[in-house]
Amino acid sequence: MSGFITRLWALAKKEVLHMARDPQVILLALGMPLLLVVLFGYAVSFDVEDVPLAVVDQDHSPASRDFAARMDESDAFRIRFRLESEAEAEALFRADKVKAALVIPEGYARSLTRGEPTELQLLMDGADGTTARVAVGYASQMGQLETLRRVQDGLTMSMPLEPRVRTWFNPTMDSAVFVVPGLVAIILAVLSVLLAALTVAREWERGSMEQLFATPVDRLAVVLGKVLPYVALGILQFMLVLAAGAWLFDVPLRGRFVTVLLAVILFLTCSIGQGLLISMVTRNQQVATQVGAVSSILPALLLSGFLFPVENMPLILQVISRIVPARYLISVLRAVLLQGRSITDLGGPFLSLVLLAIALITLTTLKFRRRLD
Amino acid sequence: MKDGVVIEVEGLSRRFGHFLAVDKVSFDVKRGEIFGYLGANGAGKSTTIRMLCGLLKPSEGRAAVNGVDVAHDPEGVKRSIGYMSQKFSLYMDLTVTENLEFFGGAYGLSRRQLAVRTDEVLRAVDMIEQRDTRTGDLPGGMRQRVALASAMIHDPPILFLDEPTAGVDPEARRTFWQLIRTLAGQGTTIFVTTHYMDEAEYCHRIGLMVDGRLVALDAPEVLKRTHVPGRICRVEGSGASRALPVLGGLPGVLEAHPFGAGLHVRFDETRTGMAALQAALHDKGLDGFALTPIAPTLEDVFLAVVEAK
Ligand SMILES: Nc1ncnc2c1ncn2[C@@H]1O[C@H](COP(=O)(O)OP(=O)(O)OP(=O)(O)O)[C@@H](O)[C@H]1O
Ligand SMILES: [Mg+2]
Repeated sequence: MSGFITRLWALAKKEVLHMARDPQVILLALGMPLLLVVLFGYAVSFDVEDVPLAVVDQDHSPASRDFAARMDESDAFRIRFRLESEAEAEALFRADKVKAALVIPEGYARSLTRGEPTELQLLMDGADGTTARVAVGYASQMGQLETLRRVQDGLTMSMPLEPRVRTWFNPTMDSAVFVVPGLVAIILAVLSVLLAALTVAREWERGSMEQLFATPVDRLAVVLGKVLPYVALGILQFMLVLAAGAWLFDVPLRGRFVTVLLAVILFLTCSIGQGLLISMVTRNQQVATQVGAVSSILPALLLSGFLFPVENMPLILQVISRIVPARYLISVLRAVLLQGRSITDLGGPFLSLVLLAIALITLTTLKFRRRLD
Repeated sequence: MKDGVVIEVEGLSRRFGHFLAVDKVSFDVKRGEIFGYLGANGAGKSTTIRMLCGLLKPSEGRAAVNGVDVAHDPEGVKRSIGYMSQKFSLYMDLTVTENLEFFGGAYGLSRRQLAVRTDEVLRAVDMIEQRDTRTGDLPGGMRQRVALASAMIHDPPILFLDEPTAGVDPEARRTFWQLIRTLAGQGTTIFVTTHYMDEAEYCHRIGLMVDGRLVALDAPEVLKRTHVPGRICRVEGSGASRALPVLGGLPGVLEAHPFGAGLHVRFDETRTGMAALQAALHDKGLDGFALTPIAPTLEDVFLAVVEAK
């Protein structure tokens, strides 16, 4: 056993030395995540000042004009058009002239005075998810304020004014807060798979793997000697992305850090195992890079719930997504970061991650034959 | 295990698909011996060495290294040998010491053993001063010595060196062979492949590989005597190509072939002599040739053996 530790230590140390001395690895491993987060950050711009608004006032009452004026006074919206019908609004949406339309139905003032529930409709262009989400937030706040104001004014009102929101073009309305956990999974998956695949393929090409296999080193030590340093590197990447997310997008950490860290470690183990497996089989840097890129990006992007909710996928893809570690990482990250859930709520995804990690490391170790034939 | 024999090979073969890379090879190597394995590219040298190191499974036959069967217990073999692979490249971004520590760790040396051995092997290959140099910054000859040092970091009784001097300048090759002889003198058994014939002269015994088969096996002098009988002289002078048919047809001349700018002529000294050769050339109006006796080289042995096949 002490022999195992000695060997593992030697292997891991060598790997760390490689990393530390390779500017490319440092650039790729630490620069890329930051770059991606910043790019995503400004791609999903969340500047929500002066969102162009069309008002469809079908009530033509002082109360309706009053509410529209209040929207205009806020920083968030700026009235650009006053229209008669929803259909006109849709044309403006398509022409990209407005991002939101407020529809005040006929009978709004009458319902208010009678204290009946009233409905205002806010149509949003959801293609720009962040803007939509924030703008909707503003609008509902305004609806509530309006309610409060009317209660204070002594007007009886049994039900609060309730803005009903319908979002077009992107019903899930991904905001940066929602995107960052997915981004973490994709960045970690791609970089870990690629780096791990490259390191072993490189050793095959240069012949140092043959040299290594001429020593009585056990293959588990070889595998773990690669996995551990890259897990450490992945944790660094994760913290970097998380910090950038918190700083740029106010991504919260409502749950405990150790919970996400544990999920990240399990996830990294899976990804690195996947990368090692690829380069064991291909033994060639170029092929390993291609296979590694495709087999990490596609599932993490398409089958993880990052772009499309898993529940909406065809059944066959739902089944396949069960062996995509990114799926579990994303759900853990969303649950812990955004909802503050604890590990006890997340037994399912954690169990899946553990099983996948064990399966991948076992497979890689078995595949790591120390013979050349 | 026969007395003093540390490598025993019997009918060892290796197939890659239908291709027979090594064909029923048999030999023994004794303790402290420098055993040279000679052959052209693709002759099967590396394949043999890999089987002996437990890296390739033999297709047929058996081999035991230090009494351990390579097919049944490759891990047992690995513990008692050092191997310097043909493609060997040290980790260029690591320093000399870091490379040694890595391989020492891979062989399971403890921290204390490692410190002692690192010093010993660095001294042995005369690289103490370069211990903290990045391996990539060293010239080829020194890298080769570091590679040797890392192959013997665990003090193995047997070293397998696969073309250790390939691509290294002659000066560095000489230094390297000096080292190998010193090691052998201290009792380390050395199995070394090469395709430099001049290097093979340093070996105690050599095996000649042609197309996967071991076609000759003995001490260099014995090989020369048996495969290149008679005496050889070099013929130098302008118009050597015209001299070739004349000399080749003389009675007692066993062989004549162009060599560099001149000729090598081998003859049976009981039937003819250098004076007779000179006279024959003179009779044909070919003058001004210098004939000098030379010792046969392993190159000649190799050519003779390949021709005989
Ligand atoms: N893994 C393999 N798969 C298929 N063929 C192989 C394999 N390894 C070696 N060979 C073939 O076996 C033959 C012997 O190869 P080997 O490497 O043993 O030659 P060698 O004597 O070491 O030559 P060199 O001087 O080029 O190193 C060659 O024709 C080679 O192409
Ligand atoms: Mg070879």
